[in-house]
Amino acid sequence: MNLVFALAAAALFGVGAFLVLHRDLVRLVLGVVVISQSAVLTLLAASLERGAAPIYPLPEGGVSDPLSQAMALTAIVIGMAVTALLLVLVLRVAVAFHSEELEEVAETELALDARSEEVHARAHADEDAAAG
Amino acid sequence: MTALSVALLIPWVVGVALLVMDGRRRSIRWIAVGALGATLVALGAVAADVLRAGPIVVTTGNWPLGVGITLRADALGVTFALLSVAMLTAAVTHEAFDHVAEREFPGLVLLLAAGLIGTFLTGDIFNFYVFFELALAASYVLAIYGRTPRVLGAGLVFTAVNLLGTFVFLLSVASIYRVTGTLDMSRIADRMAVADPNAAILIAVGFFVAFSVKLGLFPFHFWLPTVYAAARPAVAAILSGSLANIGAYGLLRFGAGLLPRELELAGGALIVIGVASIVYGGVLAVSRRTGTEMLAYSAIGQVGYVLVAIGVGGPVAFAAAILYTVVNAANKTMLFLTTQQRGALVGGLFAVGALSIAGVPPAVGFIGKLEVFRAVMGQPALLLIVVLGSLLSFVYAFQIYQFEHWRPEPAMARSGEGWWRARIVPISLGGLILALGVWPEPLLALSAAAAGALTGVAR
Repeated sequence: MNLVFALAAAALFGVGAFLVLHRDLVRLVLGVVVISQSAVLTLLAASLERGAAPIYPLPEGGVSDPLSQAMALTAIVIGMAVTALLLVLVLRVAVAFHSEELEEVAETELALDARSEEVHARAHADEDAAAG
Repeated sequence: MTALSVALLIPWVVGVALLVMDGRRRSIRWIAVGALGATLVALGAVAADVLRAGPIVVTTGNWPLGVGITLRADALGVTFALLSVAMLTAAVTHEAFDHVAEREFPGLVLLLAAGLIGTFLTGDIFNFYVFFELALAASYVLAIYGRTPRVLGAGLVFTAVNLLGTFVFLLSVASIYRVTGTLDMSRIADRMAVADPNAAILIAVGFFVAFSVKLGLFPFHFWLPTVYAAARPAVAAILSGSLANIGAYGLLRFGAGLLPRELELAGGALIVIGVASIVYGGVLAVSRRTGTEMLAYSAIGQVGYVLVAIGVGGPVAFAAAILYTVVNAANKTMLFLTTQQRGALVGGLFAVGALSIAGVPPAVGFIGKLEVFRAVMGQPALLLIVVLGSLLSFVYAFQIYQFEHWRPEPAMARSGEGWWRARIVPISLGGLILALGVWPEPLLALSAAAAGALTGVAR
């Protein structure tokens, strides 16, 4: 059972990492979501004992570890909130750069950087000329 | 005990309330400054208690010990909480004197303060994760403060990278629960000592990656320059002066506190990574032509010293790491706040900050470098690297000083009251840097006490 959990979590992490490395911003968000699910699955797999649902009155035999389920629930809620935040951010970037391709965003940024670098280089050249 | 709850509740409650109000109004931002000031006072009371009578432990909801979530304030935690909230207060006061451009800024800063205090004062690693996420979620929105395209692009990088970092952290939390069967820090420290070494090393590597991303150490630094250079001065000051402290705290708490055996094993590797950070940050900072970019790369170099000290290990080196974190946070907050100001006075402040980064007396950076020297005294090669790093910082800091502050001041610069209001916080921070450099005793005692709390847990 442990091996199944480990393989599933590893596969999810791998898929997520693959998606994160994509150029498309929406796939980046999906990749982060999948990686978060890998972490949640690991939390569930980390439970110390398995059995019936831990609800009163306790059933015969063992119950599953409630603590790791509580942790997984918390992680799911937090993951949902930050995913929503990330999606809004992607929307704002897509609107600001008129694109949801990371490459085009990077190109626009590079152009901005090159312009500011040119301005600074000119200022420094002026200064050197004045000093010399 | 009550002071601890109060310190956590004030920023939380006020922050949530302020989020629904318009933070651009003058009264709202001063409420935020007042709330942070009150939090600082409560934290000061907690610190006084802790330093006099030892750690304070509060179990939430009156659960029996071992069931409920514990809040635990020891010397290390309160030192970092005090430092971070003080730097946040400075940044918000500066922004309140100037003008607040976004309505949610004051509320978010308070929530960030609540997250940071909770992270530093918890005794439970899952609770640590929750507060960590609270602080980060607030900082994701703070990072896009201003909403220009450049800031948005940088904010996306910041959010994506740090989210991945927190999930790596969560994976390590899950593994540590599996191995030790508890989430309580003090019991983890005991049980990890007898755990399977292979599992322990994997867990330690996960924590190291998560906190290095936060700190911006060399192989994990790629997001940092974009974000710090694009952000507004106050936000860059908050990110580098307050939020980055989580990284140093995490390395100390999880490395030296919970996994001391693994930290000792990896000491050599940590020193190599730290040295790489110092050299990489220093060399790239020399090649920069604007103040903000220089400071961003300098931040990468400066955390290298903290990591070298942690890698060396032992009470003296941990105290040096804590002291250096304090010094670095003060330097970076002051320098980032002044990046868009010019004039003779700001030039002087920049010179004080530059001396502090390079480690020249009378600035407090000298004390920080001196303690790092003491920590690495036994190893001549490391001593050489630390000296080389200081030389590099001297070059890059004064190169920017020459480029940016030896120019004629723009005509509109001096305009009465507004001029003073925009400079009062940087002046106070500069005064603090000089004062602590002249009279470092309290700071030295505090960092020694914090390191003592750490090695006490380890034993």
